[in-house]
Amino acid sequence: MGLITITIDEHKLTVEEGTTLLAAATQNGLKIPNLCYDGRVELYGACGLCVVEAEGVGKLLRACSAKATDGMVVHTDTPRVVRARKVALELLLSDHDGDCKAPCTKACPANTDCQGYIGLIANGEYTEAVERIKEKIPMPSSIGRICPHPCEKQCRRARVDEPISIAHLKSFASDMDMASDHPYVPSVEPDTGKTVAVVGGGPAGLTAAYFLRRFGHSVTVLDAMPKMGGMLRYGIPEYRLPKRILDREIASIEALGVQMQNHVKIGRDVDLQTLRAKYDAVVLAAGAWNSSKMRVPGEDLPGVLGGIDFLRAVALGEAPDVGETVAVIGGGNTAMDACRTAVRLGARQVYVIYRRTRDEMPAEDLEIRESEEEGVQYKFLTAPIAFTEANGRLAGAVLQEMRLGEPDASGRRRPEPIEGATQTIALDTAIMAIGQYPDLTGFEEAQATKRGTVAADESTFATSLPGVFAVGDMTNKGASIAIEAIGEAQKAATVIDRFLNGETVGYKKPYYVERELDEAYFEQFQKAPRAEMPTRAPAARKADFGEVTLGFTEETAKKEAMRCLSCGCQDYYDCKLIAYANEFDVKPERFTGEKHHRNAENLDSLIIRNADKCILCGLCVRICDEVMGKTNLGFVGRGFHTLISPAYGLPLEQSACMFCGQCAAVCPTGALLEKEPVKKRVPVKERRVESVCNLCAALCKTDVRYVGNTVLRCLPYGEQGLLCKGGRFGLFTVNGEAKGASEAELSALREQIAAYGSDVAVVLGPTTTLEEAAFALMHFPNVYADMQNTAAGFVGARKLGIPSVTAYRGEKAVLLLDCKKNASITAQFTVALSNAPAEGVDAQVFVAPFTANDGTYLKTETTFAVQRAAVASPLPTALAALAALSGAEPQTAAQIAELLKHGALANCTQDTASDREIIRTGGRYFGNTASPLIDGFCGDLC
Amino acid sequence: MTKVVVGAGSCGIAAGAQKVYDALHAALRDVSSAELKITGCNGMCFLEPIVDLYDGAGALTRLVRVSENDAARIAEAVKREDVSALADLVIDPEDALFLEKQTRIALRHCGVIDPEDVEDYERTDGYQAIRKVLSSMTPEEVIEQIKISGLAGRGGAGFPTWFKWNAARESAGDEKYLICNADEGDPGAFMDRAVIEGDPHGLIEGMLIGAYAIGAKEAIVYVRAEYPLAIRRLEKAIRQAEEKGYLGEHIFESDFSCKMRIKAGAGAFVCGEETALIESLEGSRGMPRLKPPFPAQAGYWHKPSNINNVETFANVAWILLHGGEAFAAMGTEGSKGTKVFALTGKIRRGGLVEIPMGKTLRDVIFDIGGGIRDGKTFKAVQMGGPSGGCIPASLLDTVIDYKALGATGAIMGSGGMVVMDEDTCMVGMAKFFLDFTAKESCGKCVHCRLGTKRMLEVLTRIADGNGKDGDIELLEELCASIKDGALCGLGQTAPNPVLTAIRYFRDEFEAHIKDKTCPAKECTALVSYAIDPEKCIGCTKCARGCPVHAIDGAVKQPHTIRADICIKCGKCAENCRFGAVEVR
Repeated sequence: MGLITITIDEHKLTVEEGTTLLAAATQNGLKIPNLCYDGRVELYGACGLCVVEAEGVGKLLRACSAKATDGMVVHTDTPRVVRARKVALELLLSDHDGDCKAPCTKACPANTDCQGYIGLIANGEYTEAVERIKEKIPMPSSIGRICPHPCEKQCRRARVDEPISIAHLKSFASDMDMASDHPYVPSVEPDTGKTVAVVGGGPAGLTAAYFLRRFGHSVTVLDAMPKMGGMLRYGIPEYRLPKRILDREIASIEALGVQMQNHVKIGRDVDLQTLRAKYDAVVLAAGAWNSSKMRVPGEDLPGVLGGIDFLRAVALGEAPDVGETVAVIGGGNTAMDACRTAVRLGARQVYVIYRRTRDEMPAEDLEIRESEEEGVQYKFLTAPIAFTEANGRLAGAVLQEMRLGEPDASGRRRPEPIEGATQTIALDTAIMAIGQYPDLTGFEEAQATKRGTVAADESTFATSLPGVFAVGDMTNKGASIAIEAIGEAQKAATVIDRFLNGETVGYKKPYYVERELDEAYFEQFQKAPRAEMPTRAPAARKADFGEVTLGFTEETAKKEAMRCLSCGCQDYYDCKLIAYANEFDVKPERFTGEKHHRNAENLDSLIIRNADKCILCGLCVRICDEVMGKTNLGFVGRGFHTLISPAYGLPLEQSACMFCGQCAAVCPTGALLEKEPVKKRVPVKERRVESVCNLCAALCKTDVRYVGNTVLRCLPYGEQGLLCKGGRFGLFTVNGEAKGASEAELSALREQIAAYGSDVAVVLGPTTTLEEAAFALMHFPNVYADMQNTAAGFVGARKLGIPSVTAYRGEKAVLLLDCKKNASITAQFTVALSNAPAEGVDAQVFVAPFTANDGTYLKTETTFAVQRAAVASPLPTALAALAALSGAEPQTAAQIAELLKHGALANCTQDTASDREIIRTGGRYFGNTASPLIDGFCGDLC
Repeated sequence: MTKVVVGAGSCGIAAGAQKVYDALHAALRDVSSAELKITGCNGMCFLEPIVDLYDGAGALTRLVRVSENDAARIAEAVKREDVSALADLVIDPEDALFLEKQTRIALRHCGVIDPEDVEDYERTDGYQAIRKVLSSMTPEEVIEQIKISGLAGRGGAGFPTWFKWNAARESAGDEKYLICNADEGDPGAFMDRAVIEGDPHGLIEGMLIGAYAIGAKEAIVYVRAEYPLAIRRLEKAIRQAEEKGYLGEHIFESDFSCKMRIKAGAGAFVCGEETALIESLEGSRGMPRLKPPFPAQAGYWHKPSNINNVETFANVAWILLHGGEAFAAMGTEGSKGTKVFALTGKIRRGGLVEIPMGKTLRDVIFDIGGGIRDGKTFKAVQMGGPSGGCIPASLLDTVIDYKALGATGAIMGSGGMVVMDEDTCMVGMAKFFLDFTAKESCGKCVHCRLGTKRMLEVLTRIADGNGKDGDIELLEELCASIKDGALCGLGQTAPNPVLTAIRYFRDEFEAHIKDKTCPAKECTALVSYAIDPEKCIGCTKCARGCPVHAIDGAVKQPHTIRADICIKCGKCAENCRFGAVEVR
């Protein structure tokens, strides 16, 4: 075979003759999309995604099979190629049923991965949860407290009972993280040398600054007020959002290197022109600080205040004297903040005047309820038509009584005055919370909208001024909720980052597959009420500005998180189909037609199959057949209804499947997934680390996927990797709570054992890891392994030269290690010991007050070492305990693992044919008992 | 001595030939001057059951549409050696033209010899070609003759047979296979069945020559299980050939040995695609493989294999006996020899037609087939079944030639020719064939599995009157994508019926979409039935025949159809003798 030269998209490549185009591209770091290719199995050519165009060839070529010929010129991105791929993807998606993302995430204006962080909370991974949130929201503790949570309105749990308490869970996780010793610190890219000025330090400005800084740009936030925070500080009262929380979150943004300058007002202290000249980009995010007027007589009287002016004054410590009787006009959240603040300022009688009824109020229901608890009176169907004067200031208001007429454009019934029906109330203060608009003084250069806001492009956020972008309340449709501003700023940051790199790429809403669910679907879930957020009693809370909510306990939060229905696809971050779908900008709607809704996900199996997500690439069928030598999966039926299924449609458990999980490992979508050893399945971007399965002496390399301290999956390592059921799913106790022993217990035991000197036998139990065995061997003179009752891990122990417990020589004391303090396991040990030579066991038996390998499996050189080594014990629980017992110097798990790999077990790898055969025939640990190789296993490997 | 020959192909038997045979068998028991035989289908399916009487001199009297009740008088006539009393059964001279205008090579024995009698075959030069080959020709010389003949694959693709044989011959390895593709699946096509049923030894002999040419020691016939009679006759023929030494070791005392077996396919259309056929032969699910490697390089069990269609093999012995030039003398520049067509649909004389290449469609449909039934107008002919396309009346003078037919958007195909008249809706026709391919897609390729499904949905909504602007363009886009994206012939050709229907009958599609009308009045969603009170005489026949009792009316009073109940089955229009039922 000689070398030939081909050209792929302008890249001249030299490859071996006979190389396929796909291989040629891959070898040279070029990417050609594919969904059904895998080097381990025969070429298949079904997906139609790897097509390319070769000059002089009429037909499109499948890169997976077409061989490169000398001088060939190949194009991978011609319109014809792109169209073909796009159609293939659209066709696939037209019969792909599921939800890529949960409705909560899609409802969130910031696209926050709600399901992700809720699932992480359920598994106790708070820091990971915060990391997930901070990919979208820089100040989750604050936002979790004040967000009107559009996510919860779309939460499907509501179709079972009540929505998940998503917002509170967000602040819970964030509070936990902030209170921890090592709160999450977002990563920051290397400095780019580009500079950005952000005008306004509210939610929009801070968010833009946060993300732009993380992209490596030098960011300066300019704000007119004394402190950063914008509406979060000056619009949201302390009792809802304590400012110490906000301060901490702002500080965390500042800690990333964002420059913050207060008391700087555009047009007064600096003009826009100057900023544009000085910075590479300018982001306008100054908010909407002017209260809307009602245009009624008496509106300008002293004593009539704007809602936001009032709240700002209170926040600045310049609270006005509101007197005894206060009326707040409006039905939104600002009205709620105003009325409840008025209560706290000592007003005896606080009215909310709203021209519609409670049902139409835009304010959060909870806010209305709590305000009522605090004594606020509601005057529905009334609207002020005049404010009356006495002594040069406000004395009262004339209210027009209203009734509801026909629905208006917003769908709400339009209030109409009832002729002649008015009432008058006496007032000391009136607060008008009917809306806000931006003050564009200083921003005149930028084109404005008819609404008096800055005009910004919907997708690029660009204003009429080159290099100037605008987000948040001051743009387009005007004032909205904080999370809207955050969402815009976050998207804008990405666009501005590209702009700073000389590109103009607008934000594009990602494509997601969505499904419709009928009521029957929700019947499978047991009802469980939503966790109530505990609050201070009304009488106590109205007396001060202390926070109303008390926060979830850890137990409540986890329980609440467990209620999540996990709507979004578990495979989202691994799914090749959705990645390509977005890459090729698909529009599958045009192929809308019949779609399969089999709804037959078998969540209780080790291998979870979901035919509704299957794209029939056949990789599972082929890997099972061609790599594992099994035929547990096959194609059934023809045409549109073709299905991949075990024989006769029976569960895999009833086939000859030995659960090596190769099928799930190669599946490009969520059609085949591993059951995960977690409390709650959660789609996350997994972290990965190379490890070694220590369940038997084959010592297969593994690709461990984890998040935080939770192991999610254990995959075969690399292209050629194989694992048996043991390696693949043997980690099911991994994420149990690590049962460490207390210092007191350990020192008591150490003293007791020490009394026997070298006359102590350590007997290793069922799931002791090789590292633990090796450690025991190094530090105790007499170590035995319970060969009969232990799992095959101890084949490895034998490799280490650890004798069987049946060779027990009658030491005076016996320490049983890893019996999980379980009576039946302890009894089994004892039986094993009694099978020992004539002496029998008349020794003192101690049971180790900890379990080896519990909560530490695989963490020996992986998650534990990586994640926790720096912050927690340098050793997994059992190793630490053993070290304590033996009085030896602790060694890190990694050091021990290294010893093992280069020591006694150095020759045990899965590279030998017999290793691979053993794995193929069912492995050892959880092995297929029918395997003829099991009995000869030790002979082969040890 | 009179030879009484009953046409006993599947078509004849379906029409009652077995009963006729049994009745004749009983009636002729005592007639010592008669010999009762069977033969395969002679192609005149429209006249079955057919009984041929050959007198002592070999003169033929052909009796058609014979019933078992005619057995006694046939026996009587045979006994008296006087057929004048059977004049009512004798074939109409015009119908007889059907055969007379044909040139039969592949079908040369069909309807002539007894397929179950090897000696009958031997009497008509049977096994003389293989004898000649084995005694005097090298494999290369055989391939050369095939090359000279210009024989091309008759399964549809028309690939030069010699080239495939040569490729398989030149492939390294001494374990090679010769495979006959008898998985005839196109709706309306039955050429291969007729050949196997009527001339199994002809197929065996052709395959032996092919096996010798490529160097195969084993030949396999992959035949669909839906052809039980063909399988039975072929099994019998293989046994007879083995007994006679035509199959087995050292055939004609040469060094050439070859065995043959049958594999019955389970009825998947895609198994007619050669790589899917190989998968199925190997015991796997019939799904096409990527090509290359081609079967000639790595086929059955990854050994060099050659696959040809039944009709291709049926020509081989003739070519070797008469020489390649004789075959090449027939046909056109690019298409040599003859081609067999299965003529069906709205044709007057439906059956098997074999004609030299170069004749026109008009020759086949009008001269031989006698034109359209019931005085209707010819609209189009679907060539090549679900992989082919339709050809409209304006192109009736297209010559039968691979290239010329290809230029119309249709294909030569394996020989299915479905004739359509003015009552055939072309949207419905496209839908019919697409429904077939969509269901028969093996499910492997995205474009074929889902593309055909989506196309079918679009066609269905057009036929149902729910078509949208842009649907034709959407169909065209899907067609192009499927042609580009599908792996095998099934998918790559699946769009052809739709593309040609749009190409020649776009206005009909537009009428469905824009005007919500079906010009052929075939799409039930777009038509309604009504009774013309002027014409209705109140005979009640329509009401009695209505399966859903949607027709009201008293005797001798005009009837009416209740539209809310009517399922538009058309039964009433069929039943009415006065033309009173109108389809709007």
